[in-house]
Amino acid sequence: MMLFDVEPAPVSHPTVDLGCGYWCTINYDSVISSGLSILITLGAAIFIARRLTSTNPGRLQAIIEWLFGYVRRNTMENAPDASSFVVPLAATIGFYILVANWLDFLPITLVQDLHPANTDLNQTLAMAIVVFVLLQWYNVRLRGWKGYFRYFVGDRPHGMSLAWRIGFVPLNLIEELVKPITLSMRLFGNLFAGLLMGYVIVLILGNIPYVGSVLLGPAFLALWKLFDVGFIGLIQALIFMLLTIIYFGLAREGFEAEHAH
Amino acid sequence: MDHFAAAMIAMGIALGGGAIGAAIGDGLAGNATINGVARQPEARATLQGIMFIIIGLCEAMYFINVAFGALFIFAIGK
Repeated sequence: MMLFDVEPAPVSHPTVDLGCGYWCTINYDSVISSGLSILITLGAAIFIARRLTSTNPGRLQAIIEWLFGYVRRNTMENAPDASSFVVPLAATIGFYILVANWLDFLPITLVQDLHPANTDLNQTLAMAIVVFVLLQWYNVRLRGWKGYFRYFVGDRPHGMSLAWRIGFVPLNLIEELVKPITLSMRLFGNLFAGLLMGYVIVLILGNIPYVGSVLLGPAFLALWKLFDVGFIGLIQALIFMLLTIIYFGLAREGFEAEHAH
Repeated sequence: MDHFAAAMIAMGIALGGGAIGAAIGDGLAGNATINGVARQPEARATLQGIMFIIIGLCEAMYFINVAFGALFIFAIGK
């Protein structure tokens, strides 16, 4: 029989209840797969950091320095005075998401009830909320509490009449509140749809008699994984990282104009 | 109409509409990239990187639709 038959539909997550209701119920599959990705990320980072040399850089160090330089360049262009914490944050998020996505190359869904980490909305929403909270903290630090309040109420769009600025208050609030939602839904939707597509490929092609389970299903699944995990996983990790940086840059919007004199 | 049929129709509409939007967005991004490369062939590498990021952003809306469609089918419509 087919190996894939054990794979359940990727919609339901197995939960473990710690005994205190809704907020203590944990999707343990996401905990396992994200823990695995965290371990690999940490291990790779420590391994690379130990081998860093200034005299004789190897091929691996060149790649890592190029990636880090990419993050650094983008941060310097968008939010130069926040670079002390945006660079590590964005680099960590990007590298972790990349590892978590590329873990899908391993057949981890063959283990009973185990899904890739980012196919759980809780997982991506957690990262998006961390970014959102840091963004608000940065905004408060930049403008002070009073300026932060005015940033939402009656200060944007800069230079228009008071009635316009009051009318824009709901839009300013929505613009800010929608950031973690789009950030998390984008990553979750892409990865989840990819997983679902793999499931559908196995379901449809794997049930063709004689050739389906040994040839067509695995071949098309491999092709799809190569595209979805290899390409879309990389692009989405890049987009999450770049949007993190760009949001910090957007928080400075209008700041120079107001404090120029 | 029972729940499952309604969920199937909802997923069809979501997939179709999302596909139209994503296709138009991808086409616009590709169009702009071709124009840019035709004007400045030496900017090809930069423009391609930007194009893939924009395409990722456009496709994301469609994939969110796919995820919600699957939610309709598997979670609500059973």
